[in-house]
Parts: sequence; structure tokens; C-alpha cells
Amino acid sequence: MRIPGLGNAADNPKHAIPGNDPEHQPRARDGRAPNVMRIGEWVPMRQHRDDEEVDFAIVGTGAGGGTLACRLAERGFSVVAFDAGPYFRPLEDFASDESHQSKLYWTDERIVDGENPLQMGSNNSGKAVGGSTVHYAMVALRFRPEWFKARTLMGYGADWPIDWREMWHYYDQVEDDLKISGPVSYPWGPHRRRYHRRAHEINAAAKVLARGAEAMGIGWTPTPLATVSAPHGDAPPCVYRGFCTLGCSTNAKQSVLVSYLPRALKAGAEIRDLAMVGRIETKNGRASGVHYFREGKWRFQRAKNVVVAGYAIETPRLLLNSANQEFPDGLANSSGLVGKNLMVQGNQAVWGVFDEEIRSYKGPPSLAISEHWNYDDRGHGPFAKDFFGGYSYMSQGPLPQLWANTQASAHGLWGEALVAEMQRYNHVAGLKVVSEYMPQERNRVTLSDVKDQYGLPVARITYSWCDNDKALNRHALKFLREALVAAGGREVWDQGDDTCHLNGTARMGADPRTSVVDADCRSWDIPNLYVCDGSVFPTVGGVNPSLTIQAIALRTADRISSRER
Amino acid sequence: MLPRRDLYPGYDVLAKRDSPSWNAKTRAVLDERLRIGPETRRFFDEAEWPTIKAIADRIVPQPVDRADPVPVAALVDHKLATDTRDGYRNPELPEEREAWRLGLTALDAEAQARFGARFHELGTWAQDALLKSAEVGELTDAAWAGMPSNLFFHKRVLPDVVKAYYAHPTAWNEIGWGGPASPRGYVRMDFDRRDPWEAAEAKPGREDEAYEDNLLVGR
Amino acid sequence: MPTLSDRGPRPPERHRGAQGLSGPALKRRVAPVRAEAAVHPVVVLAAAAIGAGLLTWFASGRSKRLGPAGSEGRRYARRGSAVTASAAQRLNHASTMLAASVLFDSGLEHYRGQFFNRAMYTPIIVSSVTLAASLHGAGDTDPGSSRVRHGVQALAGLTGLIGFGFHAYNVGKREGGYSFQNLFYSAPIGAPMALTLAGILGVIAEHVRDADPDAPRLVGLPAGPALALATAGMLAGTTLEAGLLHFRGAFQNPAMYIPVSLPPLAAALLARAAAKPAGANQAGAKWGMWAVSAMGVGGVAFHAYGVARMMGGWDNWRQNLIDGPPLPAPPSFSGVALGGLAALELLEHRPFRF
Repeated sequence: MRIPGLGNAADNPKHAIPGNDPEHQPRARDGRAPNVMRIGEWVPMRQHRDDEEVDFAIVGTGAGGGTLACRLAERGFSVVAFDAGPYFRPLEDFASDESHQSKLYWTDERIVDGENPLQMGSNNSGKAVGGSTVHYAMVALRFRPEWFKARTLMGYGADWPIDWREMWHYYDQVEDDLKISGPVSYPWGPHRRRYHRRAHEINAAAKVLARGAEAMGIGWTPTPLATVSAPHGDAPPCVYRGFCTLGCSTNAKQSVLVSYLPRALKAGAEIRDLAMVGRIETKNGRASGVHYFREGKWRFQRAKNVVVAGYAIETPRLLLNSANQEFPDGLANSSGLVGKNLMVQGNQAVWGVFDEEIRSYKGPPSLAISEHWNYDDRGHGPFAKDFFGGYSYMSQGPLPQLWANTQASAHGLWGEALVAEMQRYNHVAGLKVVSEYMPQERNRVTLSDVKDQYGLPVARITYSWCDNDKALNRHALKFLREALVAAGGREVWDQGDDTCHLNGTARMGADPRTSVVDADCRSWDIPNLYVCDGSVFPTVGGVNPSLTIQAIALRTADRISSRER
Repeated sequence: MLPRRDLYPGYDVLAKRDSPSWNAKTRAVLDERLRIGPETRRFFDEAEWPTIKAIADRIVPQPVDRADPVPVAALVDHKLATDTRDGYRNPELPEEREAWRLGLTALDAEAQARFGARFHELGTWAQDALLKSAEVGELTDAAWAGMPSNLFFHKRVLPDVVKAYYAHPTAWNEIGWGGPASPRGYVRMDFDRRDPWEAAEAKPGREDEAYEDNLLVGR
Repeated sequence: MPTLSDRGPRPPERHRGAQGLSGPALKRRVAPVRAEAAVHPVVVLAAAAIGAGLLTWFASGRSKRLGPAGSEGRRYARRGSAVTASAAQRLNHASTMLAASVLFDSGLEHYRGQFFNRAMYTPIIVSSVTLAASLHGAGDTDPGSSRVRHGVQALAGLTGLIGFGFHAYNVGKREGGYSFQNLFYSAPIGAPMALTLAGILGVIAEHVRDADPDAPRLVGLPAGPALALATAGMLAGTTLEAGLLHFRGAFQNPAMYIPVSLPPLAAALLARAAAKPAGANQAGAKWGMWAVSAMGVGGVAFHAYGVARMMGGWDNWRQNLIDGPPLPAPPSFSGVALGGLAALELLEHRPFRF
């Protein structure tokens, strides 16, 4: 029995188009775009000429840009969304292979420095239609309400100009749109609506977290994930293949590519893949369109409004690269804060060996979570908190290349020691944090003298931990180590240097002197220029940012349409 | 240190090639990788080739009697020939291809200076000694041209070589990974459970059971 | 980009894997010659189940008392005996359906659990034995009970209860204890009760055979109303289990609401029927029971569609038959509903064909 276009057709070669290479030939053109849910099928796409002044030109189609494009199009605006990456068809283009799937990452040149240089590429930057959500770990968490008033209520960072109750309303909407699979009741934070799919079965690695948490006397729960546990439209439920961070080839993962963008196309948005935006043009203090490179040449799209949603490196890079006579320091940069306050999140881990077979490669990597230290502000005994901010921690499921590289880079093994240690792959489990680092102006994105393939200056990313970050790292590693040992882990070791997620380089705020955009993500300097991605975060919190980025995108769209209409 | 063992006797992840665990795209990608032979070389030149091969042998040593060793150097060569990048680099490191050329030349120069022979001509002890010096940044010959040897070792050598080895099915067999998994994923996720299409680990005294189970993973 | 090759020839220089690892100390292994290796364990299990079933079948026939209970002998066929015989047969249809559902469902689920605990073989053997006894009873038109059938059905009832205890223990000992998560994904707590239901209905079948045809009684109560109330309760219980599992599936398909709405409705009709005077027309309740029976069978088709919707569809049956909606589960509704029909027969005091 075959149901056309669904899962089992994925193996049917007659749908393949020979020579169809999404990495070199744009797919969204000639009035149609790929139907990512069905093999070889297309959906009609409304298209605009370059000289036609569209309502919104959106740079980036990830969690921020893609979500915003969808809702703006559904509100009746004409929208063109640009992405530098290819328009993949997950069912056909995604192999179960770590090396090959690195095609999802932003691997254009970037320079990293500072005291704690970041690792870019695989774990935080996507280059594909759908952005990093195509390879994200799908962890869908809400901020703690107090974090939106971090300065006032908790004494660090900066306040958000948005009330948490309003965010709660938009979180509800995103969770509904993505059919988040989560626990029947979530143990932390104020009441939230029940998730639309039940939590997934947890694997042995997640049970290690559960055992540890129960031994340490703190709460844990199956992680709310943006991959469906029961069918949703053409998306089959997750088959626990474990390649989530390398692209989901079944479409169970509700990335922006398969959730918001199909809706955006249906509502009349145009998506331009393999379209690198290099500069935003301004005229009389207003943005007038974007210069983009596609199909071998630079073009100019006129637009009434421009939205930058390139994530916290490419967004400030584009704003700075767009400097002109009117705005010599870069666009929206009268505060001088564009590119500053770059915040990643701590991603330290502890790993240990277990007597049981764990085989953590099965299932989504982070099936269980504890947010205890996001909600416990004091702690006690050896775990008294001597720092601001908090962290969550999750179970892990690294695949062989990533695991071998971790053993080599973070554990310092090579030679016989490495290949022998790698043979314990199936007995390893780990706990990994997502922790809140402080905003610091010295952590920043600037332009280097190195040029990329488009001739544009590449980003230089400077990052250093502050004392608070280091204190948090210490606390987290100490706690995790104890939890892993309590769960039965032996030969526990720390992976102390990893980071994840990118935020904060165009922060929002209530004061034009101390922020780049207002609560509606509109830049203070240029009234028709918006920033809508993780860049606008004044603080990062101790949870993965994607759900918050998407909630902000929906809110921004609503604010725009209530203003324009 | 633990000895390397035949922990998953009889397990061959390629036996699953025609099962529902592999989709067409995966087969195409792996077929292409398996076509890379031990002497396939497009990026490295004749002088660099024996050096990278010697380095690969030290970073991920393989059993001498392995009939069909993983062509680690060729896989690294493939990465560089196709210019597949990490997406970031330290400002003190040149871009990836340049760093490799520079580093290999410099290692050879260090070998000449310290032992009077090229790197690949040295015994394993001397090769390891040089690599350990690079690891801690002690190599500072003029041939490095300012590139810190520890950065080269940690940011180029280790990741590129290690990832090349563990991109190969033979390495997957060695560690008992299930391998590609789409459209079929996994069912049994609890402690000590395996699906019939996963590698069975040899428990002491029960290696034969694991061997039998491993012959069936492709069904 | 290479074109998608579908299961084409392997590349010429295909590298063989693990053999390379075997050093001199690690000789190439050959599969040991072992008798049990020749036969797949599942085949052994199936053979054992079939054998036990056949034995039960034959034994059931040999353990019957002839003739109906009571002192009047078989002078003439009484009107009531047609009713009790029909109801008893129908009850055996019910237990057949339930036993078959349990046989395949426990087989599938315990295969998933890889018979990690040897006790996991029990329900398969017991349900096949129960199935055989029930089938035997279903074809038995004579009044009068069979001791073997009676014993087997009682065993099934007991086994189900023990299984329930096992499953409840299994849920509780997991990380998180009696949480929704463990109710969803560890041993299904309600499933063994289906075997108990099969046993109870089978035992009742034997009791009805022995009962006074004109005024059948069960455990001291009038048989019709008692059985009607009992099956109504069973429907409610089965609904609870379906409800739990469909909640796990987030009621993603509107059809998933049917098994949590129709059976309680039918159960209510059945309870109302029990309150009506003896011999009254029970058309409404009968329709309800037939609807639930049909739903149980139709559920298999829905579940088959559900399997096809999983990634890889039926081609990936080794995963999807286990991870997808369980094919053998819905007919347990039909089984209970057939028990309800038997109750209605006793209530109406006349046999009916459909």
C-alpha cells in the first residue's frame, strides 16, 4: 500500500530530477517553489519583479524571517523573503550522513577571536531556506517570565520592552503551529496550554538524566520538542532515527522549512533561494530596497520595508556592510550598539561511561530536560548560586563524527587512546547545559578585512567570558558531574568549552540610546527597517532561543499589521 | 588505556544498504565515498602525500592486518579538494587549504631538523614525539610562517583527520553504530535494548551470539 | 549531484567492514552449530501456542457433561434452552475475539519488548489456549458446560489479573513513576485486562450453558441484567484504555474520537436495557452493540492506514507495525460488544440471528 507523496515514496527514484542541484541552481523560480512535503511536487509561487516595490523584503527565512514572512503574507502584505542557502527537499536531498549534511551549515568564512573564541558553523549557523531550524535540536522552551524584566527583578542584564503575558500569548500560537510534542503538564513556570502532541518516548540517555535528577532531588521532564509524536498533515511521526541536528529526512521535524514557509507560499509570499543580500539601500533616511546576488549577478529589489533576519552574526554584518553617506557607521547604529552584546549560551557537558548499553544515537538528542536551575535562584549547600542567570540541562545523543571530534578536541585523545575510547560509544551518556551568559559590549561582531566569495567583508566575532559566566560554568559542571555519577556514570569528564546559539547584536529596548530596535523590532533610526531574529534579545535566558524568536516574529507581524492597516 | 577489540564481531553496516534503513540519497552519498581509494588524491601534492598519510596513521591508527583500511588521507584530501570548510577560523590560522600546506611542510622541516629525516620516514615514536610537540605548540620552525603549531594541530589536524576516519563505514562497524537510518529509524530505546537491525555487542563468553545476531542486521 | 540510484549495483570498490578488524588473536568466527539456531524463536513460540491450542480443543470436547443441568432430563426441548445455548455461543464468540486480540497484541508488544522477562511468553500461550477453548465453545450447540473450557477460561481470567499486576509494577518502577509518560510508553497497564475479560466472558458462557434455561441466573442474580451490566462495565474499561492511547496520539485524526464516544454511549444503552422488564424489545441497545462490534473491526482498517502514514509506510513494517497504531487492539471492542449482545439475548429472552 502506497500513499502517494508520503514517507514510503521517499525511496522512489522516479521522482528524482537528474542534474537538479539545489546548491547551485535556484529552485524557487518560474512561478513555483518546491513542495517540501511531497516528492517531486511543486506549489505555485507568486513572484515580483525587482523594480516592483514590495511591502516587505525579508532577509533570511529562518526562525525569525520565515515565521514573520508567513504571518505578514497571511495578513495580506506582499512579501519577498531572501535566503543565501538552498531550497532543500528533505525527503529527497537529505542523506543519513554527518559529512554530507554539513551542507546545511553556514560555512562561509568567519574570523573568531577573543579570550574564548566561538566555534561557528555546525552548531549555530544554518545556510538553507528555513535557516538554522533545518538542523536545530527542536528544543521548544519558553522563557521564564522574570527574564523579560531581568534588570528590574533579578538585577542583571537589561529589561525587555515586552511584557511576559503578551509573550505567553504568542508562545501559545507558535506551539500550536509547530504541534510541539511535550509533557502533559510542564513542571516549571506559570500555567501554559497543553502541548498539542504528547511527549516522545524517552531513550536510555534521557533516562540517565531522569535517574540523576531524581537522585539529586530535582525535577525533570520529557523535553518539549518541535517534532511530532503523532501525524500532522503530511508529516509522519518521528521514527527516532537520531539525525535531527543533521536535517530531518522524514519531515517529522517542524522546521520553518516545513511549517511556516509552505503556509507563507500559500498566502502569496515569494521566497528567493540562493539569494545573498549584500547591502541595504537607503534614501532620505528610509530603506528603499536590498542588493542581492542571485544567478550570477547583483540585483536590486525595491521594497517599502526591509526586515533583517540573518541571525546574530549576519544581521549586524549586513547592517554594518550597508554603511553609506547617510549612515556612515552602518544602518540603525546611532546607539553604536549594532554588533555589540553578542550573547551565546554555555553548552558545557559532562560525559561518563555506563555499564548498560545506552546507544544514545537513537531518538532526538535531547529527550529529557531539567530546568531546575532556571527557576531556583538561590540553591543551597555546595550548589548555592553565586552568579546571575540560570541554566537548563538536557540529555545528549552525539553521532560518531561529532563524538570522535569531541573526544579529540575536548578530551584531548588521539592515536590508540582515541580509537579504543571510541569503542565505548554505545555505553556513553552525557548531560549538556544551555546556560545564560551575560550581555557584554566587548563581545561583538565587527567587519574584518577578509572578503568572502561575494566580495563582502566577513564577520569577525570576538567573545570572552566574564566572571559571572565562569561562575555559572563552574556551578553547572559541578552539578552535572554529581548528577551523572548519581545516575551510575563512571570515568566522568567535563567538556568545558562548548557554546551554542547566537543572540543580542541588535538588542531591543525602550530607549534609543541603549538599544537598536524598539519592542516591535523596528529600528530607532530608520522607521521602515526592522530586525527580527535572535539579534534583538537583550538577555538570552537559560533555554534554547528558537521558540522565543518565533514568538517575537509573530508579535512583530501583528504589530506591523495593526500599524499599517 | 583500553585495548582495541573486535567488539561487534561480524557486524557490517553496509549489509543494511538495501534495507529500509538507507534511502536513495544515502546510498548515493556513501557509494561516492566508498569509491575514494587509498591513493585517490586531488589536493595534496606528491611531497605532502606521504606526510599526511603518516599523520593519519598516528592520529587514527588502524590494525596492520586490516584488509581494507580506511583511506583516511584520501578522505582528508577529498574534503580539501572540494573546499568543504568549517565556517570559522582563528585569525592566526590561514584558511584551511593554506593551513594544511603550510603545516605539512613545517612538520617535515621539523622532522628534518630534529631527526634528520622526513616525517613519514620516522618511526612511530619519533612521529608521536613531533605531534605531541605540535599539540602543545612547541614547534616554532620558520617554516610555520607564524602559524602556531598547536592551533594547526587542534583546529586542523585533529578535526579533519578524526572526522575523516569516522565518516567511514569500517569505523562505524568498529564502534557499533547503527549507521544511516531513514526511512527506518529505531524502535527500542531503553537501556540494553537493540533493534534486530542494530549491531550486537559481544559480551564476554557470548561472542558467538553477537556474531550470529550481527549477520542478520541486513535483513 | 549524483542521481538517486535505487538499490542499484554496489560500487565496484566496495570496502568490506569488520573482518578487517580481526587480528591474529581474533580468529574469523564461524556460526556455531546449534540445534535451536536452525529455527527462529518466533516459530518455536508459534508452534508451542498452536500445539497448546489444539490440545485444548480436543480436551474441551472430551470433558463435557452431556445434557443440560437440572432434573428434568431432555424430554423435550424447552424454549429457553435455545436462548441460553445461543447466548453461550455468542459469549464464546466474544471470548474468541478478545483472546485473538490479546494473542496478536501481546505477541506484537512482547516482541517489541524482546521477551526480556520470560514471563512475557505467558499471555501468548494462555491466550492461544483460551482462543482454542473459545472457538470450541463457539461451535458447540449442545447445552451443558465443558470442564476444560471452564478451567481454561478461569485460567485466562487469572492470568490477565496477574499480568495487570506485572504491568502496574513495571510502570511504577520506571523513572517518573506513575506519570502519563510511563502510562504511555512502558508496559500498557490496561492491556492484560483484555485477557481477563476474555476469561470472564468464557466462564460466563459455561455458566449460562449450565443455567436453568427458563430463568438463567449468574452468581445468584438474573443472568440477563447481570451480564448486561458487566459488559457495560467492560466497555467502559476498554474505552479508558483506548482513551489513554488515543490521547497519546493526541487525537490527531477525528476518527480517534469514535472509540471514546461510541462505546460509552452503547454501554449506557446496555445499562438502560438491563433496567427494562424481562422480554422487552432491546432494538436500541442491539444497534449500539452492533455498532461497537463494527467499530472494532473497522478500527483495524484505520490502524492499517495509520501504519501506512508512518515514515516508510508498510515497506518499513518492522518498525511501523510496532511503533504505529496496533492492528490487533481494536477488535477487543468487538469482543466485549458481542458479550453485550449475548446479554441482550438473555434479556429479550429470545435468540436472534443478528
